Amino acid sequence: MIHADDGILSQEQRLMRDSCRSFVDDVVTPFIRSNWQREWDMSPGERLPGSILEGAEAIGIRTLGVPEEFGGIDLDRETEVRTFALIAEEIARGDSGLADKLVQNWKVSIVIRQFAAKHLQEKWFPRLLEDPKFLLAHCLTEPRGASDRWLPYNVPEASMHTRAVLDGDHWVINGRKQFISNGFDASLYVVYANTDPSVGMLQGTSSFLVPRETPGLTVTKCNETMGCRFMNNGELVFEDCRVPADHLLVKSTALASAGQYFRAGKIIQAAKNLGVGVACFERTADYVQNYVQGGRILIKHQAVALRLADMATRIEAVRSLVERASKAVDEAHPDADILCNMAKVYASEEIMKVATHALELHGGNGAMLEFGIEKLFRDAAIFLHMDATVDVSRMKIIKNMFPATAGKYAGPET
Amino acid sequence: MKILVAVKRVADPNVKVRALADGSGVDLANVKMTMNPFDEIAVEEAVRLKEAGRANEIVVVSIGPEKSAETLRTALAMGADRGLLVRTEATVEPLAVAKILKAVAEAEKPDVIITGKQAIDDDANQTGQMLSALLGWGQGTFASKLVVGDKAIEVTREIDGGLQTVSLALPALVTADLRLNEPRYASLPNIMKAKKKPIDERTPADYGVAVEPRLTVVRVHEPATRKAGIKVGSVGELVERLRMEAGVL
Ligand SMILES: Cc1cc2nc3c(=O)[nH]c(=O)nc-3n(C[C@H](O)[C@H](O)[C@H](O)COP(=O)(O)OP(=O)(O)OC[C@H]3O[C@@H](n4cnc5c(N)ncnc54)[C@H](O)[C@@H]3O)c2cc1C
Ligand SMILES: Cc1cc2nc3c(=O)[nH]c(=O)nc-3n(C[C@H](O)[C@H](O)[C@H](O)COP(=O)(O)OP(=O)(O)OC[C@H]3O[C@@H](n4cnc5c(N)ncnc54)[C@H](O)[C@@H]3O)c2cc1C
Repeated sequence: MIHADDGILSQEQRLMRDSCRSFVDDVVTPFIRSNWQREWDMSPGERLPGSILEGAEAIGIRTLGVPEEFGGIDLDRETEVRTFALIAEEIARGDSGLADKLVQNWKVSIVIRQFAAKHLQEKWFPRLLEDPKFLLAHCLTEPRGASDRWLPYNVPEASMHTRAVLDGDHWVINGRKQFISNGFDASLYVVYANTDPSVGMLQGTSSFLVPRETPGLTVTKCNETMGCRFMNNGELVFEDCRVPADHLLVKSTALASAGQYFRAGKIIQAAKNLGVGVACFERTADYVQNYVQGGRILIKHQAVALRLADMATRIEAVRSLVERASKAVDEAHPDADILCNMAKVYASEEIMKVATHALELHGGNGAMLEFGIEKLFRDAAIFLHMDATVDVSRMKIIKNMFPATAGKYAGPET
Repeated sequence: MKILVAVKRVADPNVKVRALADGSGVDLANVKMTMNPFDEIAVEEAVRLKEAGRANEIVVVSIGPEKSAETLRTALAMGADRGLLVRTEATVEPLAVAKILKAVAEAEKPDVIITGKQAIDDDANQTGQMLSALLGWGQGTFASKLVVGDKAIEVTREIDGGLQTVSLALPALVTADLRLNEPRYASLPNIMKAKKKPIDERTPADYGVAVEPRLTVVRVHEPATRKAGIKVGSVGELVERLRMEAGVL
């Protein structure tokens, strides 16, 4: 692909990206290419070999977002989200499930560093850094659905069903969370629960730090997903799950305060998508320059060349928007919310088209598991639904632009 | 012990480079650049010696344009302590490189100099040898193993037909071959830390070295494209064609 963006990156950003790219080229891609069956191993814990995570550990991509005072990486905060985007793209170019797994740690670390009491940061950040298998998860979605919360509809009946009640010096959590990235194998969870059913979710939702071993927390299953299969998405049940009062992160306004997490999350989401798109392009460009039909390599057929051009153009358009939106998030620009939702939804739809081209240009090979192109297609498809659906993301954009008129709560059917 | 490592910025070996249309050289515009792979091995070896407590300071030096600072930064992120950029936009031939490195060595007084056995751009395989001759130091080229003692260094060399082990009195020069080690990736935390490590800048003139080329490049052209192969129907036909067409039997 073209590297027109190089000039605006800092030297460190370029070096970090290059290091990550080498790791992906040398370790991740060869593993994915030669072990296509591993995705379908029905023991989720066994899917990704330890060596891949150890490699990720060695280049330090598991624990971005951890503050330097606790042993984390001293990324320049003014360009932190841009850096996240660069690294997430590179990892996802190798495998988007691996990227999901790792970026969740970065995103949740932002929440912890911002909201957890100092003594809890002192306790958990070192554990996160020490243990290469330590993962974090962020639990919002429930069986009742996530879209109302994304929009958000700020009326009591739209609130979460998971409840937390203060009992002496403990919070008692009851409810279920579903579709949680790293939910199956995380060691520490950030959990959102309703703490005031009389008000809307923006005033009545609180967030908590819940260690995996907490009695009353049960990980009930690993969701078998269509794509990103090297990240173990999970479901959790809370039955009188008691966490000490100091594990409360944000009282009442947790959803409103999670903005920094959500915004970085949308950018990272778009960037992972971009990585999948780049992989589609690279694989396809290589294929059409080697495979022959009609007496000549495919790229010499104009219909093929035009599709390839379309793939490259969409990828670069996504890249431009991701760059612009990540800059807006880093600078806390008033339009950051709008732009990061635009980047997320645009990336998901454009890269889906890129993946469709890749599938088509590979002919029958594109449909074969051992070829790995259909995997990119599945990985791209899942991005449509993660971190808000396409339609809900669009509604958020317009709600943000026209708050007085757009996206009002419809209310229960009468 | 102090180790000096020379690193060169070259076109990434994974990218296909093209000859310029006028045959004057290789088109490097917009080509991804990286540290010469053999120099990465040299840096890695120095870092391992430091980690093993055999060395206490690693200085990396690069001769080249401003962007070579990035190559030095990579070496710093791998574990070197400080960098020196001898900045020049000119094409510097091995002899001039060796002369500059000699001057750097006289100023820095390292116990060991490690270079790559060759740079993958011009494949000259001369700098290390010339440098050791200019310094009057012993040389262990094509190293696949180093054992560093207090007064001497044992170098296992990859030579035609096997391995040769030489013992060099310090100070000495070593050039790294492929199998010396597998270099690490610069980790993200170390890249951020390397930002704070110093890189000095000089020019060849500071060392009194003239870099004007002594060689003339006559023409750079791409290798001839190979003709497509053919499938033969039988062993008999294969033997026939090898004899009649290829003329090898
Ligand atoms: C791989 C994966 C990972 C995930 N990781 C996490 C995680 O780590 N943490 C977490 O909390 N959640 C996670 N989720 C959940 C994700 O955020 C939700 O699945 C997503 O937001 C959609 O919510 P839903 O599944 O409840 O769909 P619903 O909200 O039920 O939506 C169903 C359909 O209805 C449409 N719709 C809903 N409301 C409206 C409306 N008002 N107007 C018009 N159309 C509407 C939607 O656009 C969609 O088409 C993950 C999901 C996936 C697939
Ligand atoms: C599930 C499945 C079942 C199948 N079952 C059978 C079966 O039972 N029997 C059987 O014989 N085959 C079968 N096939 C093979 C199928 O017919 C071919 O895969 C399909 O026709 C595409 O051919 P190809 O794979 O060689 O792709 P290619 O022909 O290599 O096509 C690759 C890309 O190049 C494009 N292209 C090719 N030529 C040109 C051109 N001249 N100009 C412009 N673009 C061009 C194509 O549109 C495509 O985008 C099956 C395939 C699948 C996936």
